[in-house]
This record gives sequence, structure tokens and C-alpha cells, in this order.
Amino acid sequence: MPVTVDKSVVGKEYPPFLVAVERGKIKDFARAIGDANPFYLDDRVGAASAWGDVIAPPTFAVTFRDEGADAGVLLRDLGVDISRVLHGEQEFEIFRQLTPGETYLCRMKVVDIYEKTGKSGPMAFVVRDTAITDRTNTIVATMRSIMVIRL
Amino acid sequence: MKYAKVYFEDVAVGDELPPLVKGPIAQIQLTRYAGASGDFNPIHQDDEFAKAAGMGGVFAHGMLSMGFVAQAVTDWAGAGTVRKLGVRFAAVVRLKDVVTCRGRVLAKSSKDDVNCVELEVWAENARGDKVVSGRATVALAART
Repeated sequence: MPVTVDKSVVGKEYPPFLVAVERGKIKDFARAIGDANPFYLDDRVGAASAWGDVIAPPTFAVTFRDEGADAGVLLRDLGVDISRVLHGEQEFEIFRQLTPGETYLCRMKVVDIYEKTGKSGPMAFVVRDTAITDRTNTIVATMRSIMVIRL
Repeated sequence: MKYAKVYFEDVAVGDELPPLVKGPIAQIQLTRYAGASGDFNPIHQDDEFAKAAGMGGVFAHGMLSMGFVAQAVTDWAGAGTVRKLGVRFAAVVRLKDVVTCRGRVLAKSSKDDVNCVELEVWAENARGDKVVSGRATVALAART
């Protein structure tokens, strides 16, 4: 049965959520990638660094999610099943390093949905932007994620 | 030498990053990455689910491969140097695949005392197919 994606989701901004960065989460994330960089894993190296603590690897912000919200809400809004979802593209812009003990505000918005037919058939692309700010409302990082739905 | 400091002056357009070889990909790494990232999509864990979804079996999170590419960049440029990293996931990475991450310097620029190096980055499997391709911008310290 062909799948259709609800394009009325474009422009929808999801409720902002707070994320407190934990030291252990940074280390688990780096180790899961197999990246043993001491600036992520060694507290003493971090303390002696320009940042005064360990920092998160460049892709760490992908772990930021609204723990209080229903994890399936976006897919339900789009009207698609997780088995049809692939990751198409991902981009991070980092203005300041993410460090343990900091709390960040994340705001995620669906900015575009478009369809294309590739060699494996018709697909919908769902573009989401997330802005990450600190307690002073200064932008720390942004991410753009493009989800591919196999139609 | 791993984690050696690279200065802006020492980088030339066309320079290649030392290749970073990751894998072979094992199921346990995908399970570990799911836990660390919070992405528990069963398509990366459950072979029957992945087959029923028409994907031919379990494959790695794209974000794991992007993490490998980020590591290749920071192994060369240093932790905390990445200003921008954007990739397209071109093909799936399967269990047992060996992924080699590569990069090349495309451009250098200095503005407002920030010295930026733009890189083409990619990862390929053992057959030489690109699984990830994209761009990165790193800010490097100057010697002077």
C-alpha cells in the first residue's frame, strides 16, 4: 500500500525542551563510536584544556531529545511507520563546545517536506532544524536532519 | 602522530587527512550506539524486522558512520576544532563492513582572527563505494 506523508507538518515547531549534558553520556557516546580522544574521555585532560572540562564529540547533539515527550510523535504527525524511515542527511554547526553540567534549550521545527523518485523508488524528504541555546539564550549549535521516507 | 596539533600555516589545499579505518562493524557496536545515542530503531538491531522492512537485514545507524567521519577530522585537526560538519548518507553500512574515512583540504580562509579550513570528507566501504559524503569546516590555531 503506498504511503503518503502529511505535508501539513511543514512549519510545525515542537515544544522546546531542556537537556542537561552529563559527563557519562559524553563518554558513552565517544566510546560507542570507538573514539578514544582524551578531550572527550579524560577529565584531567579536559580540566587542563581551553574549555576547562571534557567536551562532546561533534555529533553528540544528535542525542538531544525531549525525554518528557512521546518519542513517536513526529512520525505519527507525518503518518509514517518507523520501518520506512532512513537517515538522508545530517548537518551540525557548532559555535561553542558542549560541556558537562551545562543545560541547553532545544527547539525543533519541520522546515520542509519534498518528494523525489530515486533509483529505489519514490521517497519523501523531511527536513528538520534544531536550534540549541544556552541559559543566556545564546546560540551554541544548530543541527539539520533530513529524514527519508520510502513511499 | 595521533592528536598532534595541526597549525593553519601547515595546511595546504589538496592535503589529505590520514585515513581512519573503522570496523568490521559488529552487532554489539550498533547496540552500544543505540544506547549511547538513544536511537533504538529496530532496523539496526533486529534482522527479521529489517528484512520485513525491505532492507535486506540489519544495517548501521548513519550517525555511527558520521561519528567515524567526525573522528577522522578531529584525529587530524584536534578535538573542538569542528565548526561545521554536514553529510549525506549515500549507502548503508552492513555488519562486517570495514569503513574507511577520508578527507581532503578544499580551501583555507581567515576572517575576524578565525582561521578556517574547509574539507571534503567521505567514508567508503571495502568495495570502494561511498557510504557517507560531505563537507567539514575546522578552525585551526595559527603559529603566529
